Amino acid sequence: MELDYLVTVLLSSLSSASILLIATLGLAVVYGLMGVINLAHGEFLMVGAYSALTATQIGIPYPLAIPVAVVTTMLIGAIVELLIIRRLYGRLFDTMLATWGLGMVFNQAAVLLFGTVSPGIGMPQYNFKIGGYSLAAYSIAMILVAAVMLAFVYLLMTKTVYGMKARASIQEPKMAQAIGIDSSRVNTLTFAIGCGLAGFAGAILLPIIPATPSMGLFFAVKGFLTVVVAGPVALTGSALTALGLGGGASVTASFMTSVVGDVFFFLVTALLLWLYPMGISARWRRKL
Amino acid sequence: MKNFFRTLGLTTAVALTATVAQAETKVGAIFDLTGGLNIYGIQQNNALNLAIEAVNAAGGVNGEPVTVVGYDAQSELAKYTQFAQTSVLRDGISAMFAGLTSSSREAIRPIFRKAKIPYFYSSLYEGGACDKQTFVTGSSASQQLNVLIKWAVENYGKKIYIMAPDYNFGTISGHWIHEFAKQNGAEVVGEDYLALSVTDYAPTIQKIQAEKPDVVIALPVGANQTGFLEQFAAAGLKDTIGMVSTNYGSGNQQVVVSPQAGEGLISAMGYFPSVESEANTKFKSAWEARYGTDTPIVAGAVDVWNAVHIWAAAANKAGSSEPDEVIAALESGLTFDAPNGKVTLEPGSHHLRQDIYIAKGDNNHGFEIVQTFAGSAPTYENEKCNLIDNPDLAEHFSPEEH
Repeated sequence: MELDYLVTVLLSSLSSASILLIATLGLAVVYGLMGVINLAHGEFLMVGAYSALTATQIGIPYPLAIPVAVVTTMLIGAIVELLIIRRLYGRLFDTMLATWGLGMVFNQAAVLLFGTVSPGIGMPQYNFKIGGYSLAAYSIAMILVAAVMLAFVYLLMTKTVYGMKARASIQEPKMAQAIGIDSSRVNTLTFAIGCGLAGFAGAILLPIIPATPSMGLFFAVKGFLTVVVAGPVALTGSALTALGLGGGASVTASFMTSVVGDVFFFLVTALLLWLYPMGISARWRRKL
Repeated sequence: MKNFFRTLGLTTAVALTATVAQAETKVGAIFDLTGGLNIYGIQQNNALNLAIEAVNAAGGVNGEPVTVVGYDAQSELAKYTQFAQTSVLRDGISAMFAGLTSSSREAIRPIFRKAKIPYFYSSLYEGGACDKQTFVTGSSASQQLNVLIKWAVENYGKKIYIMAPDYNFGTISGHWIHEFAKQNGAEVVGEDYLALSVTDYAPTIQKIQAEKPDVVIALPVGANQTGFLEQFAAAGLKDTIGMVSTNYGSGNQQVVVSPQAGEGLISAMGYFPSVESEANTKFKSAWEARYGTDTPIVAGAVDVWNAVHIWAAAANKAGSSEPDEVIAALESGLTFDAPNGKVTLEPGSHHLRQDIYIAKGDNNHGFEIVQTFAGSAPTYENEKCNLIDNPDLAEHFSPEEH
């Protein structure tokens, strides 16, 4: 096996893992900080993709369309939290059912609003060569995007007042309320941020994965498994899991077939959940 | 109880109107109007309604108007069998138009076989479906690949790489690619069969570069696999490696991919909106008047349009909508002046002899026709499936079995 092939495989596998992480981070934040599994996460991603697409269609340049998508999904997320999620706190399975149903509604609403096919915006036609192999620059840039996104969420949760309140509300809810933190408002914001991250993912991945009403489904499955395997330390755990599962599946797919890659993903997931039923981070000391 | 009486009253009213109304011929329809497959299902259903209107405007079938009892299968297999049973047991239909995926067809085919009701399947597919009640108006994989591979080898070269979905449409098509490559003196240098859930095609793109083919035969199914075309172009491979397909455009993928990625992609199918014929002009203006011009018409819609007209012609020829008589008429070598050229229903195989078009993607989400292979026969189906000599055949022939 030539060196250039190996380097290409490594880079593109890292990019695959990053794409998975980008798509999963919002789910991890909501699960880690609220204990809510948002099964409509994939559909929020889809809403983000369509928001960005619509923004570019009315003439807003693509880089500015991304914030539009974030704001739109955050707003919708806040409304969903106020109307649905807040009534179901502490009822994990009920929230899963409710958000699953919400996902279906979003999916069909997208069909009615946008039809079944919309023109894509295409990937920037930049590529570079490593030895005899050429790689799309945009896919590789996703490694950087994932790193920045992870750092952003980490700083948001550790260095800002909101972050401290959010962590206090989930770790010591009664104490947090006793010292005057309005935990329900904090939760609304946390859910909105989770949805905003999904919207960001949909917008930034739009050139790679075209917007379709059912695009969220794939991410819902793999993202959900990533978060479950990660366990209670959602942020670090998800980053590691995405790297291991997503990257591992991509390496396997490069040397064998994508079907074996998927088998790797699901087998390792099953194995990890068998070894660590509460997730790999169940016994970690870190909290984030 | 009050509700009960109200319902009863309503039912009686409906029953009364039904008896008062004039005699009519009913046909059934099951398409995916919601869910992931509705990029095909909505257009199939639109085509059905348009075709039934056209048939009724021309006097109906044997003087009776045709009405549709339609169902939305919601892209779920279980719904297909459920609605197929309902339409047979309750609706009293004379013919059925249904299905997109091969799995949906195989799930409901036995139901109509048992009920002895003609069933029309209208989508391009891997080929080989064969029984007395089933009629296929889409093109089969061998029908398309036969002409496409000859064209690709002549225009790009002899080294072929296959990218296909990992289920029977992809693997059977893969078998045909090997077969036709051999016939044309070409060689398959690599192949990758992908699950429909894959979104990241970097591994496939590397394997393609490692094998250095002259042409990639890509059969992307579903929204995720459309991303492959985009990623292939963004990696800068489009200039050096040709890309051809038998289903690119069948779900309007040319609208989804960017002009940079779509320009120059080759597709071989039984219909493109840019086909030039009087029948197509008429069909397109009727379609656009009714459904607008937002989404281009897909081949599957034209296949449904053809199916309805061929059924109506057979029923008129037979002078009855009775299934056995209609099937006998369908097996009499009917032809139809379709939007995609003249089509002939092969009496033995119940498949269509039809034109196959090679088209090239332009830079504006459309296609221009490069070459027309007129009257392409469903050779494989004709060879395997002769329902005139063997009316009891009920098979799904697959080239992989021998």
